[in-house]
Amino acid sequence: MISFHPTEDEVSFVEVAKGLAKDKIRPIARNIEQNGQVDQTLVKEIRELGLLSLELTEYWKGLELPLISQSQIWQALAYGDLDVVQGLPGTGDAASMLRLIPDSPVLQSYKKDVTEGGTLAFLDIDEHSLTNFSVTQKDTEYLLSGTTEPVRLANFADYVLLAATASEGEAVLLWLDQKHHPWEIEEGDYRLGLIASGLSRLTFQDIPVSQSQVIAKGREASDLIKKCRSRIRILQAAKEVGLMEAALDYAIEYTAGRKAFGKEIAKFQGVSFRVAEMAMEAKAANHLVWEAALKVDEQDERAEGLSLRALYRAHRSLRYVTDSAVQLLGGHGYVQEYLVEKWMRDAQAQVALYGREKQMLTKRGEQLIKGEKEAAMS
Amino acid sequence: MISFELSEQQKQIKEMTHWFAKNEIRPIAMEADKLGKVPDEWLDNVNKMGIHLNTSSFGGGGKTSSKEKKEREGNRMGVLATEEMAWGDPAITLSLPGAGLGGPPVQSSGTPEQQERFLSIFTKDKPRWGAYALTEPEAGSDASGIKTTAKKVDGGYILNGQKIFITNGGRASWVVVFATVDSTLGRAGQRAFVVEKGTPGYSCSKLVKKMGLRANETAELLFEDCFVPDENLLGGEKLYEASGNKPSGFQVAMKTFDSTRPIVASMAIGIARAAYEYTLEFVKQEYPKSGELFRLASETLAEAEQDISAARLLTWEAAWKADQGKPNAKEAAMCKAYAGQISLQVCSKCLEILGPIGLNNHLVEKLYRDVKIFDIFEGTNEIQHLVVARRQYAPYEIRV
Repeated sequence: MISFHPTEDEVSFVEVAKGLAKDKIRPIARNIEQNGQVDQTLVKEIRELGLLSLELTEYWKGLELPLISQSQIWQALAYGDLDVVQGLPGTGDAASMLRLIPDSPVLQSYKKDVTEGGTLAFLDIDEHSLTNFSVTQKDTEYLLSGTTEPVRLANFADYVLLAATASEGEAVLLWLDQKHHPWEIEEGDYRLGLIASGLSRLTFQDIPVSQSQVIAKGREASDLIKKCRSRIRILQAAKEVGLMEAALDYAIEYTAGRKAFGKEIAKFQGVSFRVAEMAMEAKAANHLVWEAALKVDEQDERAEGLSLRALYRAHRSLRYVTDSAVQLLGGHGYVQEYLVEKWMRDAQAQVALYGREKQMLTKRGEQLIKGEKEAAMS
Repeated sequence: MISFELSEQQKQIKEMTHWFAKNEIRPIAMEADKLGKVPDEWLDNVNKMGIHLNTSSFGGGGKTSSKEKKEREGNRMGVLATEEMAWGDPAITLSLPGAGLGGPPVQSSGTPEQQERFLSIFTKDKPRWGAYALTEPEAGSDASGIKTTAKKVDGGYILNGQKIFITNGGRASWVVVFATVDSTLGRAGQRAFVVEKGTPGYSCSKLVKKMGLRANETAELLFEDCFVPDENLLGGEKLYEASGNKPSGFQVAMKTFDSTRPIVASMAIGIARAAYEYTLEFVKQEYPKSGELFRLASETLAEAEQDISAARLLTWEAAWKADQGKPNAKEAAMCKAYAGQISLQVCSKCLEILGPIGLNNHLVEKLYRDVKIFDIFEGTNEIQHLVVARRQYAPYEIRV
């Protein structure tokens, strides 16, 4: 039955998350950006509420929530500030892979450290990555060399989960431990946005990785990576919807109070119509994210296609809504006294970080024309 | 819980209406557009099959008794069915016998006697239509500015005025007409009447020729000293007495929109889907399998598919809220604005993919002409933006 009713549990989770977003996250978002790292007290509070382990299975001491529930919770948290949410340490995007391989023997010895606060970066080296980074198969080992593209949480990572295609053309999923597979952090000079999210490039200088660190390879690895990407796309798109809602509400409040030509600027249709458009964009993106989340939860074969669609649309809508918020605040929107300035930058950084829009669109189109299975094979 | 799965009943109505659209409507779509009308014999046949255009005919729309705990789903059934029918052809769908847009105001504001009298005439013996007459030459989007007058006389009202753009207005057995008893009262002076065909002083002055929806009748109606008895005042005098100085007639008109806008949105979605599916098949058969053209078509079709899905989910939400008995004016306006807008874009992009070939007797060209009006009627895109904006600013008590 078609329904837009969240469950009681979801309502409770969202209430807690929204409260945190408004009362704890947003007020210190600027400071966190300046410090380049999320405040530890805030991290502790969020961790204690279990919000950093929504995706993880019970084995990893997580809540193992369905994606439809997680989407709503991340959406609520990102309503506070996207950068803060993206800078929260822990399992990050790698959580989705841990969800899929909860009992991988490779990871047993790391369980304690990870569940007690270790931070993971997820390196997803796909065919579109613009780097000299390579994974070369040598006998029973893999050799890592080169520098990756900027990755979220890389700056704080104790471990790296690496998804890549090795020199033989075979997909491989590797677990890297900083102690045994040392990497160098190229912190760089990030100014656009998501400053507190631990963005950096990692350099590996011919680092060997033994078979004992191979989580999966071949068909098994490529299937896992594909499923993991779908989950990550949806969770990231949900966060984007949260930021859209924040920017929308912020712009409404400002334009309801700001006066020009003797009346509130909301009363000019150039302003109010744009607000209506922003509201529609946010809602459209929201529903596509929810639909994709439901399909993943149902293990529907269309899930991958719908995740591409959801993230593409979230990217597009996010750029429009955050830009509109700045536009509606006029000159004030451009200065740092108002959060919309930051949110527009964060939005653009987020879009750059999580998949090129045209590529997602082309891939989805290919699925539609060729059929999802055939497109996946090509 | 949040779910976008259809219930068994919803699946059935979708499948049934799709079958009808595919096998009965689509085959005559191009010919009906050329003729500028839906063949009478066809209308007679579908009427005998009991196929009507009103939400209650899709089932589940009626009031449930207090004993029945079954969730209402009439609005969701309505949008699911209408998308399929419009996928077949929107002009033919709008021409189907039934109360049409006149149904919702009679259902929501009519007395039990009026509901019985006006809604029970849609029987299988011969096709009949209802209609809804709000728009005037000088009052379109500003429905509060209507000029048609209703002067109280002994036993009824005398109507004088003109109505335009009335769907099925010429053939309708009755039409819901909005008029003012006192223009100085503004909205509070408005009343809704059911005027029956054959009433002296009521006539159809013109059938207009249009860009699209050519097979569907759009009429201009004239009311010249037209006497309408008290019993045809929608809701009766009591409705207006009970609400004191509140703008009841206007509220009848506006309330109607909250249930008809999702229906209109779903029709736009059906049209867009028809264009998209037609073009997707064309690309599969005629386009190269790689290269620049293929990439362009991939992007365009992916964008279209995504816009259609987004519009559908917005529409479902508006219909779901209506079924839940929750206020849905914002969601109804959102889905209507969004669906009206993207459906034209989808048809336009599909024509671009088809290229010059699409100009010659291809369905998409017709759909493009048909779909433009969905961004205009039942409230223009701009009016929908206004409705949405008003709801967004309501917490700040700013009237935009």
